[in-house]
Amino acid sequence: MKLYEFQGKEIFKKYNIPVQSGCLICKNDLTKNLVPPLVLKAQVQAGGRGKAGGIKLWDGNKDISQIADELFSLKIKGERVKALLALEQVDILREIYISMTFNRGKSTPVIIVGTSGGMDIEKSAQSDKENIHFIEFDPFIGILDYQIRWIAKKLQIKDVAEFRKIIKAMYQIFRDYDASLIEINPLAVTPHGLMAIDSKIDLDDQASFRHHALFQKLEEEKKSLKDKENSINLESTDDTITFVPLSGDIGVISDGAGTGLLTLDLISDFGGKVASFCELGGITNSEIMLKALRLVKNQSSLKSILVVLIGGFNRMDDMAEGIIQFKKELKDNVPIFIRMCGTKEEIGKQLMKDENIPVYNSLIDAAEAAVEEARGN
Amino acid sequence: MSILIDKNTKVLVLGITGKSGKLQSEIMKKYGTNIVAGVTPGKGGRVVEQIPVYDFVKEAKEQHKIDVAISFVPPPYLKDSCFEVIKNDIKFLVISTEGIPEHDTVEILKYAKDNGTMILGPGTAGLIAPGKCKLGAHPPQLYCKGRVGVVSKSGALSYEIGKTLTENSIGQSTVVAIGGGPFWGLSQLDILEMFEKDEETDIIVLLGEIGGTMEVEAAKLIKEKIRKPVISLIVGKSAPKGKSLGHAGAIIEGNLGTAESKINALKDAGVLIAHNHMEIVKLIKKIEG
Repeated sequence: MKLYEFQGKEIFKKYNIPVQSGCLICKNDLTKNLVPPLVLKAQVQAGGRGKAGGIKLWDGNKDISQIADELFSLKIKGERVKALLALEQVDILREIYISMTFNRGKSTPVIIVGTSGGMDIEKSAQSDKENIHFIEFDPFIGILDYQIRWIAKKLQIKDVAEFRKIIKAMYQIFRDYDASLIEINPLAVTPHGLMAIDSKIDLDDQASFRHHALFQKLEEEKKSLKDKENSINLESTDDTITFVPLSGDIGVISDGAGTGLLTLDLISDFGGKVASFCELGGITNSEIMLKALRLVKNQSSLKSILVVLIGGFNRMDDMAEGIIQFKKELKDNVPIFIRMCGTKEEIGKQLMKDENIPVYNSLIDAAEAAVEEARGN
Repeated sequence: MSILIDKNTKVLVLGITGKSGKLQSEIMKKYGTNIVAGVTPGKGGRVVEQIPVYDFVKEAKEQHKIDVAISFVPPPYLKDSCFEVIKNDIKFLVISTEGIPEHDTVEILKYAKDNGTMILGPGTAGLIAPGKCKLGAHPPQLYCKGRVGVVSKSGALSYEIGKTLTENSIGQSTVVAIGGGPFWGLSQLDILEMFEKDEETDIIVLLGEIGGTMEVEAAKLIKEKIRKPVISLIVGKSAPKGKSLGHAGAIIEGNLGTAESKINALKDAGVLIAHNHMEIVKLIKKIEG
């Protein structure tokens, strides 16, 4: 779960990472007693907020509501602004980049630092190698003091004690909240010490079973800000389905990512265009199959549906039940092409046969048929 | 022997009383996998598919010789269960469980590494040595015995290729799925090296996908160390950038992880590139003459 800046900063405050004082402003909620100068920051989850004009200074010359309205009318990478964070202005002497995450290739936690903040870390990591440092640490030992001193030296931070407190706090949040990423970009050097000017925290959804109350609270906060127009991607976050809307006319459902990707390639080779890609996850059931079919069916431009099943953990008898149920509730006649094999395939195929639903054995034949159908042949 | 497992491999199943663990144990046993014991805390003393169930790994080890363990334990209990296996000196552990918290995964992989236990997975379909043994979910009917070694990230793709090869009378020595990532125990590189040494493997098929850089690293290894012919299929060539398509690892970020970068690196290492699964058959037949 990606947290908004204001949510991340609440956590920072709790762990004594210095942040600017400020308050959250929602739309039609400018009754608060605000005193200039203030920095107003649009609360969105998309990156590139500054460049999109999502951060404005209120120096008192204009009416604050005018600036707030400008920000509320913004759409940043398709995301509407539903709240602003109003913060005291601070003098920034220097900006630093710091984050804590995992190096996935090496399966190890890592601290990433850069000597200049406010940057696009992905680009800088390739173009500005001398100024970016990766410090891996042992998950059982944590971050050692010499590593903190080493980072402080690289970042030319003089007050190591103050910096140590921030790193230790970041680590504590990393562990306590099952975070996948904690990013402070920038961490500012100010006349009064270090300060987190921004906050980006990703919590691991897979660990939500350990943090029921927290996830519920954050989810509710987010719900009030969530852009309803943009919610199609978020529709299926509560189970194993991956649903990706695309722009073509063939809906694809697979019960494995690798075969799903191969299917996309085959469709592309046959000259077809995919309307949406839906992957069911390794262990699934008839309800998830049914839900996936409904999700795919919702796409407006749909001309055919291709279901590619090759079950290992996944049982074909369960899949057949889901498909048959969907066929029964289907009012119009969207053609469905099904390839079915793997665990319990004899039973699954028999169930389909009883309902007169044809099943393909070859992936290529099924993909070609779905493309031909979409073409109107 | 084939790589990692063979006919005599003695298997412990973790989470054997669960729905998936029970079904898969039944299929594995029917295939000939020598499952000697199962463990589910609190269910000790039961019998599942004629397999004795214990509360602790230690108790199972006291009664049986155990070579490998396979886990179907759900995420909340997985870390503890894996640590127990590693602490009890079982040297190969297959983790089929998906959806494990990242912090747990990293700790499991580190603890295993520190204690000399090989991990396949997590989130893996497992592996099959056709005609001998299978550990995991590979549907038996899709495979037949032969001399082609297959390594895949995706389980489903390793089924698809097994099916394709078998339908074209090309047998397999071992088919291994390492899991969809983004964290891995054994990598494509580890499995490639095992196939290179394996006397029962003549040709290696490397199945990769978009996302990450493992296939590029595998290409370097192939160039330096692998002398057997390698055929590769990289899926996701037509996938849109910046979208996660099922596997957490299968996402193109910037210029990293594109199919093109992987195909180029593999070509440079002398690997034969198959454009789709059917082309793998053609390339194998060409090599075999």
